[in-house]
Amino acid sequence: MAHRVDHEYEYLFKIVLIGDSGVGKSNILSRYTRNEFCLESKSTIGVEFATRTLQVEGKAVKAQIWDTAGQERYRAITSAYYRGAVGAILVYDITKRQTFDNVQRWLRELRNHADSNIVLMMAGNKSDLNHLRAVSEQDGQALAEKEGLSFLETSALDATNIQKAFQTILTEVYHIVSKKALAAQEAKANASIPGQGTTINVAETSGNTKKGCCST
Amino acid sequence: MIRDLKKKKENQQEKRRYSILDLSRLGVTVVSPYIAFFMLFLSSDDSIASFKKWTLFAEASTSGGGGGGGFWSYYSVVSPSGIAIAFTAMAGIALAATIVYSRRSSLKSPWSIRKRKHALQPKEWKSLFTEDGKLSDGGVKFMKKVRSGGVDPSIRAEFAPVHQLTVMSACLTDMASTVRKKKENPLEDGKGKGMKACGNGAVKFLNASSLEDVVSGRRSHSTEGGSPEVDDSDILPCDQSHQPLLSSDSVLEGDTDKSAITCEDGSTGESESSDSDSSEELENPPLFASEITEENGIGGDENANSVASGIKGRSKYNADEDFAMWQRIIRVDAVRTNDEWIAYASAQASVSEIKARELAESVCLKEYDHLEPCRIHHAARLVVILEAYTLYDPEIGYCQGMSDLLSPLISVIEDDFLAFWCFAGFMKKARHNFRLDEAGIRRQLNIVSKIIKCKDIHLYKHLEELQAEDCFFVYRMVVVLFRRELNFEQTLCLWEVVWADQAAIRASITKSGWGKMRLKPPPTDDLLLYAIAACVLQRRKQIIEMYGSMDEIMRECHSMAGQLDVWKLLDDAHHLVVNLREKI
Repeated sequence: MAHRVDHEYEYLFKIVLIGDSGVGKSNILSRYTRNEFCLESKSTIGVEFATRTLQVEGKAVKAQIWDTAGQERYRAITSAYYRGAVGAILVYDITKRQTFDNVQRWLRELRNHADSNIVLMMAGNKSDLNHLRAVSEQDGQALAEKEGLSFLETSALDATNIQKAFQTILTEVYHIVSKKALAAQEAKANASIPGQGTTINVAETSGNTKKGCCST
Repeated sequence: MIRDLKKKKENQQEKRRYSILDLSRLGVTVVSPYIAFFMLFLSSDDSIASFKKWTLFAEASTSGGGGGGGFWSYYSVVSPSGIAIAFTAMAGIALAATIVYSRRSSLKSPWSIRKRKHALQPKEWKSLFTEDGKLSDGGVKFMKKVRSGGVDPSIRAEFAPVHQLTVMSACLTDMASTVRKKKENPLEDGKGKGMKACGNGAVKFLNASSLEDVVSGRRSHSTEGGSPEVDDSDILPCDQSHQPLLSSDSVLEGDTDKSAITCEDGSTGESESSDSDSSEELENPPLFASEITEENGIGGDENANSVASGIKGRSKYNADEDFAMWQRIIRVDAVRTNDEWIAYASAQASVSEIKARELAESVCLKEYDHLEPCRIHHAARLVVILEAYTLYDPEIGYCQGMSDLLSPLISVIEDDFLAFWCFAGFMKKARHNFRLDEAGIRRQLNIVSKIIKCKDIHLYKHLEELQAEDCFFVYRMVVVLFRRELNFEQTLCLWEVVWADQAAIRASITKSGWGKMRLKPPPTDDLLLYAIAACVLQRRKQIIEMYGSMDEIMRECHSMAGQLDVWKLLDDAHHLVVNLREKI
């Protein structure tokens, strides 16, 4: 159920950022929500989140983006945050082959813990380091197709495709949610009983009235 | 071992990636049943894994010090009243900066008067010792002094090692007094002379990619340091464990110290240590340490090889799978340490670019070109020590967050050996934060939750409504001990106070001495958790009135960085200790 909450935003979508340590998840988040980038951003301990409100097809959508620790040790904690997420961006580092090879593990992780309808996107980050590239764009594309994910190469450092990545995934989520809502409405109209068909879970109804899209 | 040596030659290339770290001489004659000496060196072992393995050798010493010299000699000091008051405890408390000693006998925290008296100055610090290097009057004056004003940062470097190394040995000691017999200011002077040589030598050593390098490194640095005669047996790792690759004796005063190593009251120390062990929940000594204890017992020089093989066999259990990953993540984290520490470590800040890059290269650090030399050097040291730790404690290995804990320590402590053992001591408690089964972290979150419940049921009920009573929102604070919320100076202050409490507990000051000295509040092992609860309680109004979900509280907690007043926090924490200690 996508929650319609007061005037600030109409939808609240929870997105998780996952992937190996050091691929740039935190910087993707800070670039998107605060337009900041820090080469020495410290490792994420557990989970952190930030929000940003944007327009998706004329609707105000608040994206609550959860940044998770990459290390396996923190998996138990971070996986708790997959619950309720409507989208996940699976990040790897184009300069580190291993982080790409681990994408499969992350997919398994999501399939085990996340909602089955979660919208997935894969992002090959650090595209600014083209000279150090260890994973070709074709490889990324091929894997994405095979797994049915949308795919983009991004760079948090120079902001390439960061907006686009979030816009893409949020739009996709929005389409699914609005389709569901429509279907539910129709079902309601037809059967005159409350629609129960929603399978997409959107994050908690936080009665959040605080404005602002930035946080740590 | 000779075979290993040969293998090493053959595998030169492979080994180049590894540094050799020998920490043996920082081990000590201890009264506890735990380790005395650790000798950590590289050994490639094809039978175990495709990648090279580290081998940790341990040499348990007899209480008579059969294992031979070392720099740090520990022995407990029995005060006239019969209560063992360890110097360490004092030192730990010395670390506790800025405590205002309240003479009021009410239950109020002494921290409630937050006007700081002047901190203990180096000159005063020296004056607290008798000629033979012991604390005068059993340390009471010293304790008062420090409690009333904390310590000056300039003598900080002397305390962390003293405290942490004793944690390691889990016994009460008077390490500094022995050193003090030789030198006025052990660490500072040491760094100027022998330790400087070690510092450099150690770096060489750590970089050495073959035992030959190690040997030559050892020789040259011994010469440089002008340390006492070093016989060649010292440098042969295979020559029975009693002589490590790099002995810190040349580093730290030399063999002459052996004579100074005494174990004046072994039994006291032992019982103390077992007390403190039992009081520490979930206290599992690192895998290697326990193994060493079991297999080598006391004075098991002759069993060194069997111990080594035991360790190899054991470490295979989980290290094979993860070591490569740990290595990778350690390097990722090492280069993203911020530069806060630089202002507090002028010597390290001025490291030459060549030296920094040399060290970085030797530990296979990458992606550091954007960093200035001192930060490269710092990052490389992090790698060396963290990697060694993964071998020392493979059950924990490396977990992100550990570099946060180590970075301040190596900023204060320039010597890698010392830093490693301090870290190992620090981790003795902190390691539970990083356990795979999360038992440590859950226990602690539970305590925070309990403190909040006891103190403020209204807030607790609100948390319950939000399903946040598990206090998961303070997770990060617990894991990295406020490192992310406080700046460098604040962090050390807080940690020092926490260590001081822990030291006081180990010294059993709680029961008797504490009251006598009228030092309130009583020390607690969980001061940090009280501080965390305090910082949540400080925001109770906001939480109750404004926050409608756990997420928002977490965001609030994460945005505390740079906004906390560490003294107010400790003040509040101590209030909580005074009022709730019995209930928790």
